Amino acid sequence: MIVVVGVSHRTSPLALREALAFPKETLPSALDELREQAGVEEAMILSTCNRVEIYASGLEDPAPVADFLAAHHGRRQDDLIEYAYRLAGEDAVRHAFRVAASLDSMVVGEAQILGQVKEAYELAEGAGAIGSALATLRHRSFAAAKRARSETGIGRNAVSVSSVAVELALKIFGELKGRAVLLVGAGKMSALAARQLVAAGATASVLGGRTFEKADALARALGGRAAPLERLRDELARADIVISGTGAPGTVISRADVAAARQARGGRPLFLVDIAVPRDVEPEARDVPGVFLYDLDDLKAVSEANLRERRKEAVQAEQVVEHEVREYLDWLRSREVAPLLAELRRRGEEIRRAELEKARRRLGNLTPEQEQALEAATAAIVNKLLHAPTVQLKEAARDGRGDMMGLIRRVLGL
Amino acid sequence: MGSRVYLLLTLLFYTAGAVQVLVHAATRRRLLSLTTTAATLLGFATHTAALALRWNEAGRFPAVGLRDVSSFLAWSLVLVFLLMWLRSKVDVLGLAVHPTAFLLLVVANLSRPEDKADPYLQTLFLPVHATLAFLGYSALFVAFAMGVLYLIQERELRARSPHTFYYLIPSLEGCDRTGGRAAAVGFPLLTLAIVTGMFWSAAARGAYWTGDPKEWTAALAWLIYLVMLVARHRSGWGGRRGAWLGIAGFAAVALAFVFVTLAAPGVAAAR
Repeated sequence: MIVVVGVSHRTSPLALREALAFPKETLPSALDELREQAGVEEAMILSTCNRVEIYASGLEDPAPVADFLAAHHGRRQDDLIEYAYRLAGEDAVRHAFRVAASLDSMVVGEAQILGQVKEAYELAEGAGAIGSALATLRHRSFAAAKRARSETGIGRNAVSVSSVAVELALKIFGELKGRAVLLVGAGKMSALAARQLVAAGATASVLGGRTFEKADALARALGGRAAPLERLRDELARADIVISGTGAPGTVISRADVAAARQARGGRPLFLVDIAVPRDVEPEARDVPGVFLYDLDDLKAVSEANLRERRKEAVQAEQVVEHEVREYLDWLRSREVAPLLAELRRRGEEIRRAELEKARRRLGNLTPEQEQALEAATAAIVNKLLHAPTVQLKEAARDGRGDMMGLIRRVLGL
Repeated sequence: MGSRVYLLLTLLFYTAGAVQVLVHAATRRRLLSLTTTAATLLGFATHTAALALRWNEAGRFPAVGLRDVSSFLAWSLVLVFLLMWLRSKVDVLGLAVHPTAFLLLVVANLSRPEDKADPYLQTLFLPVHATLAFLGYSALFVAFAMGVLYLIQERELRARSPHTFYYLIPSLEGCDRTGGRAAAVGFPLLTLAIVTGMFWSAAARGAYWTGDPKEWTAALAWLIYLVMLVARHRSGWGGRRGAWLGIAGFAAVALAFVFVTLAAPGVAAAR
């Protein structure tokens, strides 16, 4: 049975997650320790800033894994009692699927978690801790995560500040190929957004103030050119997207600058992103027709609205994941029943062969027709007798009724 | 009556399409699902059959009387939509086209056919003029719808707090381009419709220009689109002004259409 023990942003304070975290380099030894101490067959440890979780197989009860998690970090089990979840069987499987699909994430639908889970499995595999049970869990949960992502919109709308800026640019300009991006100031966040825009086909130029070398370096990294801040009005007229993030105490781009640029642009829209605090762009510039000005608060408002959209989509994604969980559980159960079914068949055939032999000895020489009839009759008896138990077993497996399997085993003397 | 059954069937398919589009818009699913597309295509097929049967029944091109006019208008709208969609895949157009086609089909199904035989309608002018005009109306309706969507999306973006339409409507540039393309198709059709209308008028009434309201409004619409297309050609971006011109032009076109329908060309000439 698969078990999961862990703490996450939902259940525990950051301090506890920090205390229970497994640094990457200690993971192989921790996995060895876990398998020795807790008696698990397979194990995987997922340790990110939002969650620390141990996935294991070969136990009926998650308690030994929980003991290991506490003991490994020099804690008592009591310290974890109200923060850690201990899941087994179906609940553990569902949790694994939901985590991979980013439904349990702080930012629903964020894309990093699948990469982190992937890496955790790879590390565990490298440590020789992955067998068939966790390998199929990995395979199935990844497939479910990809389905949820492609069939619903949980990952669709941008949430981080820089990607919201890119999303807005796309909402205005349709595509970014050939659009001109102007960076005012060479800050880290501007660079981040600009890199995404350039990757989508935009061209960049950078305006630098006193620290012109920095602007020049960034422009070169973005494959664009740098210019001094004095050239602002000319550059504004040429740009489609402006990202301003200087450390200047006052206004860098005034309403008059924007209005002048607008005149030279012949009605094409201008998208201004002001990520500076205090703001670089005079807020009144917003009133210039055809100008879309977003400051940090505006970007955050869009991000929050997008997050609300994602949560709506998450309802759909939960259904997709639940469907995949059910399919996986069905498969697991049908796998349990397969050896029993084979055994049943084998026994039936064995008895048939033996009885057939006896009958032949008694009957002497038979015509081919008689031989054929005897074969057919005995085979039919075995098939008909085994039909009902076979169906029952398959149903019992699907409904998760292990008791039925024991019963049939006993009744048939297997 | 064969055409009656097909027209009713068409209404059923278009209802299904319109309901799906609206539900999908409300729930933010992809606007045109496979079922919507299938319903639209099936509806278009039965619609074509209905028109062909009606042509046969009436003994003249089916573009006279409220029933035939709304039906034919819906047909050309769906045709233009399908062609535009094949080219630019703008799903959001369904939000305007599907409910409109549905409403037109309701009107068509509820109206009585106009079966009065009129010698002035037994002319090649009717099918040529009506087809050009209706396809033109449809393309200009698309330009109008894209203009409205442009203005809504622009408002969303300037308000800096996204609501339903922010997610539903494609980029400003996309609305602008599709609207411009539709106007570029609709304008020549409108021009040809006006020219054939003038020749028809000359043949029936002996004058190219009689100065009645439908001619003035048609001329006004033509001028608006001319301004819009020239401005677009110059700056490469229609923008807000382009959107408004698309809306104003269509208002004039719609008015001309009302005047024409109030007095069908042949009927008017006969008086």
